[in-house]
Amino acid sequence: MNIIEFENLCHRFADGTSGIEDINLNIREGSFVVIAGPNGSGKTTLLRHLNGLLTPTSGIVRLAGIPVEQNLLRARQLVGMMFQDADSQIVGETVYEDVAFGPENLQLDRSKIRSRVSKALELVGLSDFADQRPHLLSGGEKRRLAIAGVLAMEPRVIVFDEPFSNLDYPGVKQVLRHILALHQSGHTILVTTHDLEKIIAHADRMILMQNGKIIKDGIPADIMTDIEAFGVRKPCAFRLGLEAESWLS
Amino acid sequence: MAELTSFSYQPGDSLLHHIDVRFKILFIILISLMCLNLYFLELGILTSLLLGLIFHARLSLISGLKELRYFLILLFLIFVARLLSDDGPPIIKLRFVSVSIQGLHSGILVCWRLAFIVILGFAFISTTRPSAIKAGVQWFLKPVPFIPEKKVALMMGLILRFIPVIFYQAGEIADAQKARGVENRKNPVYRLTKLALPLMRRTFERADNLVAAMEARGFTENRTDPELALHKRDWISLVAVCFLSIFLMF
Repeated sequence: MNIIEFENLCHRFADGTSGIEDINLNIREGSFVVIAGPNGSGKTTLLRHLNGLLTPTSGIVRLAGIPVEQNLLRARQLVGMMFQDADSQIVGETVYEDVAFGPENLQLDRSKIRSRVSKALELVGLSDFADQRPHLLSGGEKRRLAIAGVLAMEPRVIVFDEPFSNLDYPGVKQVLRHILALHQSGHTILVTTHDLEKIIAHADRMILMQNGKIIKDGIPADIMTDIEAFGVRKPCAFRLGLEAESWLS
Repeated sequence: MAELTSFSYQPGDSLLHHIDVRFKILFIILISLMCLNLYFLELGILTSLLLGLIFHARLSLISGLKELRYFLILLFLIFVARLLSDDGPPIIKLRFVSVSIQGLHSGILVCWRLAFIVILGFAFISTTRPSAIKAGVQWFLKPVPFIPEKKVALMMGLILRFIPVIFYQAGEIADAQKARGVENRKNPVYRLTKLALPLMRRTFERADNLVAAMEARGFTENRTDPELALHKRDWISLVAVCFLSIFLMF
């Protein structure tokens, strides 16, 4: 079943420049998709249509068969979005309050909010930090807090926009481990990146974008050959003719 | 990001931590107004009680006072002004300056009252979760017409959340400029402009990202109301504060 469908999607910004053009794309539920491309290729613009942060200039975006614009709150509950800058995503004064922000917006009752928050914090290993102020967390912890905030909404699709930027090696491994755990628990995962090295071993599909258009779409190993011509560095393993290796192995 | 202030909520399990925020706000208003009319003995009793509660809550008053060093300078200036301006038989006289016993009394009294109110605020902030303060303000504003109490509470929360981030950003920009020799420019207006403009640009960009992040998490004004519940200890503390106020006033 396709959980995401983009049909003839175009987006033009207010100044007339084109963000994305004529995107036709279906994503199966439970898949792990990497969207690669250089800066300004339209990756973030594409993803922001998934929960109505941007509206199409033309075309349509459907989530589980229903157009996003028909029910924005449903779309925002269905698609959890992790932004590039975790600091801007954290709105609570404490870790607990930040995770509770989404469920409070869904107007759940307090006992349900408590159970969702505890579960989300436990999943990302931040239960002991519930009373901590977010600005005191490390980069990796902030990223995990942002994941917990998304998980508390109980989404089916989770979108990660450059999830490894500004993270050290242990931070990358922790976040990667959480992404994989979420995929194994049945979530559909979409990751945008211009640095394939850290994630490509786990993806079952790769979409390459350039100038707002989809250039290539397929199994990563199949479309890796001339990827550098489109502004994305080929991972080391592929350069050496080997199979991609996980950062966790 | 480093710790920026100790003048903020510190988790704990004391009486001060457990009293309902609405009662705490009420007590602060009542005690602050009352202490403006109290003298040495009554202020001494109140201060001892407050310090006892702060000690019981295991708050570090010293680090709180360190944060308030500029306020202490202001207090000192107020003390000096009162010392020199009150009339009375002089105990020290130097040319144009005379110090009277009345001036000394009034200087100590005014500074003690102001310091007491600030320490009261420190105890309140250190033992009350920001979300509880937000909920308390929202509760008090609910009956006030034309004030969207939920919006006000949310704005308060966001300000509390982002003040440290903005300070951190300002520090980063200042360091980056120092690294490029901005200290050689003696014109303070030039330096302020060079700091303020990028800081404002970054702050607005951050605000833009924040709006997107809030929308992505389904932000609406009709959210689950904050949880506030009164317990027996809140009523007991109310009775205690009322009795104390009557005792000290009369």
